[in-house]
Amino acid sequence: MTREFDAPIALVFDVLTKPEHVSKWGATPPDQMKECSIDLRAGGNYHYCFVTEDGTECSFRGTYLEVEPPIRTVETWLFDGWPDAEAVETMQLHETDAVTTLTLRLAFRDKAGRDHMTRFDGQQDSFDAMEAILRSLLDLKGTSPS
Amino acid sequence: MARSPTTSDVFNAIAEVRRREILDALMAGEKAVGTIVADLSLSQPQVSKHLRVLSEVGLVKCRAQGRHRLYSLEPARLRPLHEWLARYEQMWNERLDRMDDYLKELQKRESSSDT
Repeated sequence: MTREFDAPIALVFDVLTKPEHVSKWGATPPDQMKECSIDLRAGGNYHYCFVTEDGTECSFRGTYLEVEPPIRTVETWLFDGWPDAEAVETMQLHETDAVTTLTLRLAFRDKAGRDHMTRFDGQQDSFDAMEAILRSLLDLKGTSPS
Repeated sequence: MARSPTTSDVFNAIAEVRRREILDALMAGEKAVGTIVADLSLSQPQVSKHLRVLSEVGLVKCRAQGRHRLYSLEPARLRPLHEWLARYEQMWNERLDRMDDYLKELQKRESSSDT
């Protein structure tokens, strides 16, 4: 996944990683952000907690594996509501002509990796490639959800 | 008795890069172990080990034809993963829309306070 923002790279990085910014855009209205803590360093944890209109709470949380301001962070990603998988996200920023491009890549940690939280092996697929493979696999036998 | 495979086992199975390569190789159709070995330049024991993991979680199935064992994909087993990714992508797209709005507002405020 990529996105372009009409903003300098340092500002985009701050908006992605500083609690005072994330708390402003992180929640999907009408959800409210109840907690937003970010310990931005390798080995540091982050935790976002949202409250829905009916009072249900849900959390995203994870641990930073790599932090390289203002161009890159790698972090684990777990969502209470979607058990079963621990994802590893890589956020890469690049600025050209005052436009900053965010590239978000996704990988899954295997069980062996889970036992070595700080040892990230760099084994990554682009989210798009994986999605393309999945789509073609599902389409192959006509099992794609309509 | 062995426990039945869960969704999380599917995520674990595809977390390994070689196993994704094997799934990729099988997209073209049913293949014998020897063909996969040749396609991916892996050793036969490596391929067999990964095929065992993929079979256990139901991502590939195997049938015997003469002396050969032929492997093929079971794409339906990837459905939970596909749904997970679709939700993840949608969630991030919505978040990034809001982040874009916020960035614009932030820069507007900064430029108006500068003047």
